[in-house]
Amino acid sequence: MLVVDNVKKKFVKIDKNKKKTEFYADNGISFKAEDGMVLGILGPNGAGKTTLLRMVGGILEPTSGTINFDGKNYEKDEIEIKKNIAYLSGNTKIYNSISCYELLKMCGNIYGVDKNKIENKIKEISAKLKMDEFLHNRIGRLSTGQTQKVNIARCLIHDPQYYILDEATSGLDIISSQIILDFIKEEKARGKTILYSTHYMEEAENICDYVIMINKGIIVKSGTPDEIKRATNTTNLRDSFFSVLGGASNE
Amino acid sequence: MNNLKNIIFKELRELFRDKKSLAMMLIAPLLIPAIIFGMSAIFESTANKSVSEYNKIGFNYELSDVEKAIAKELQIEVVEKSEEELKLDYENGDIYLYVLKNGNNYEFNGDNTQNTNYAIGLANTFYSTYKNYLQADYLVQNNINPDDIVNIITVSENISEKDNFMISYITSYGFLFVIMAITMAAIYPATDAIAGEKERGTLETLLTFPIRNKDIIIGKFLSVSCAAAFTGIIGFIFMNASLYFANGMFDIYKEVTITLSMGTIIYSVIAIIAYSLLISGLAISIASKTKSYKEAQSALTPLSFLAIFPGMITFLANIETTTLLSAIPFINITLLFGDCVKGNFNWLNIGIMFVSTIIFIAIVLKVIIKQYKSEKVLF
Repeated sequence: MLVVDNVKKKFVKIDKNKKKTEFYADNGISFKAEDGMVLGILGPNGAGKTTLLRMVGGILEPTSGTINFDGKNYEKDEIEIKKNIAYLSGNTKIYNSISCYELLKMCGNIYGVDKNKIENKIKEISAKLKMDEFLHNRIGRLSTGQTQKVNIARCLIHDPQYYILDEATSGLDIISSQIILDFIKEEKARGKTILYSTHYMEEAENICDYVIMINKGIIVKSGTPDEIKRATNTTNLRDSFFSVLGGASNE
Repeated sequence: MNNLKNIIFKELRELFRDKKSLAMMLIAPLLIPAIIFGMSAIFESTANKSVSEYNKIGFNYELSDVEKAIAKELQIEVVEKSEEELKLDYENGDIYLYVLKNGNNYEFNGDNTQNTNYAIGLANTFYSTYKNYLQADYLVQNNINPDDIVNIITVSENISEKDNFMISYITSYGFLFVIMAITMAAIYPATDAIAGEKERGTLETLLTFPIRNKDIIIGKFLSVSCAAAFTGIIGFIFMNASLYFANGMFDIYKEVTITLSMGTIIYSVIAIIAYSLLISGLAISIASKTKSYKEAQSALTPLSFLAIFPGMITFLANIETTTLLSAIPFINITLLFGDCVKGNFNWLNIGIMFVSTIIFIAIVLKVIIKQYKSEKVLF
């Protein structure tokens, strides 16, 4: 189980006159995500979703607060936690000069997958995601959809318990998006925990078990999609979102 | 350790597959033969300049028979004219020097051009010979044997092969180009591995992997160092191959042994490795403080000048290696290259140089590793 408790992240902004201003991208976020749960993180641009997921993914250090994965935290068990996480964002880029096969093998080695099992694991994932025809092509020569498949394959190679997906379908066409959504459903069925931030309310309503809405670094609403709809007296999550946030972007 | 190996493999694979990186690693070493052959040709043309290119000398007086005989012996083409005519001839390039006689004083006139300088040398020999003749003639007329006075001392030359300054000069330039090649080969991959990775967005992916920041930085540092050392060794091989072939092509290498001793090879490889480590550490350190590829390139350009500057000073000023200088990063390695040229080997100085380089790199890397825990690296 993932437990995020009162996490804050302070940044320093420097303006044109070189004047420093401190601000909190996240200011006291707390939630729990149990095994087999898809937890949706919704909010406008600049709400603090990416910063939150980067902290959960171990890319950024929180200014205060704690993040625990099955009782383990980054201070003591960073490598062990990261071995059990897959992080994928809409901006995630992978190495163009290496082939899909080389990337998967490298990731397998980095995540400590048994060397004797890596080959079979690559074959299995390649077959599952229909990657056989471009498995040995360099990533830089692949289409967007094929690249996204490679990204998913990279996440699957070490069979993690936790997936952190930050606007993973953003900018993708409907077919590429569906690949990600199918992947989320399959992994959820396998009992994996998925943190999923998105701008697409319909997606969130379809796949999320629990949703937190963030604005200006704080949670403004949380609950199951049905609970949120009931509480805001709306019929869909999109209307709930506007009801809670008023439709303003923070950027 | 396993992840360090993974990072090194990943970086080297990217590096050797990137055409720009490969070009940067090979361009400078490929220039070394051109430099060595070019310099050899220039030195040879200077050393073996034909006397007919500078032997037309004007005189504003009529030469005596003795002077004419000496001029003939020295292949001087004598032009006897008035001062004004000689000045005009000199300006038109018809003569390379003109001599104005005023009593017992002979004044050489001309500009500081190469041919005039050669003509001055010839004129000096001419008047020195004439002066010796006049002195001997005077002694004979006073019943003194000139040999008793003139040859009261004798001078002979015994210059050893390694003191051939032209070869030493060319070899020094060869090593300077090896330093330049290593610098270029370190700067581009360091920019790509740090700022390029940030700009391409793959750094975020890398930071999600279960790899310690220490392994990421050291892995990148070692792979950049490998690229730089690879270039340095190619440059060193090209330099020596060029010297070997130049030896057979140019007369200035006559009676000079170019073959390297095992000591020189080991010494040079140590210097190349040490310099590769140093320059890679500095390049990675500077690149990690930048946010984009362009910014990294601008920040690293001064490093290429800084890297060559100590080499120029130590080679050209002929500074000797001391224990104290062996402890100063940058200077110690260029001095070591200088020692390779001279064939002076001091293992204590090498040891001090290596320890000081390692300490310097360790401090630099520690600072970068600390930086990688900050979001300043990502944003």
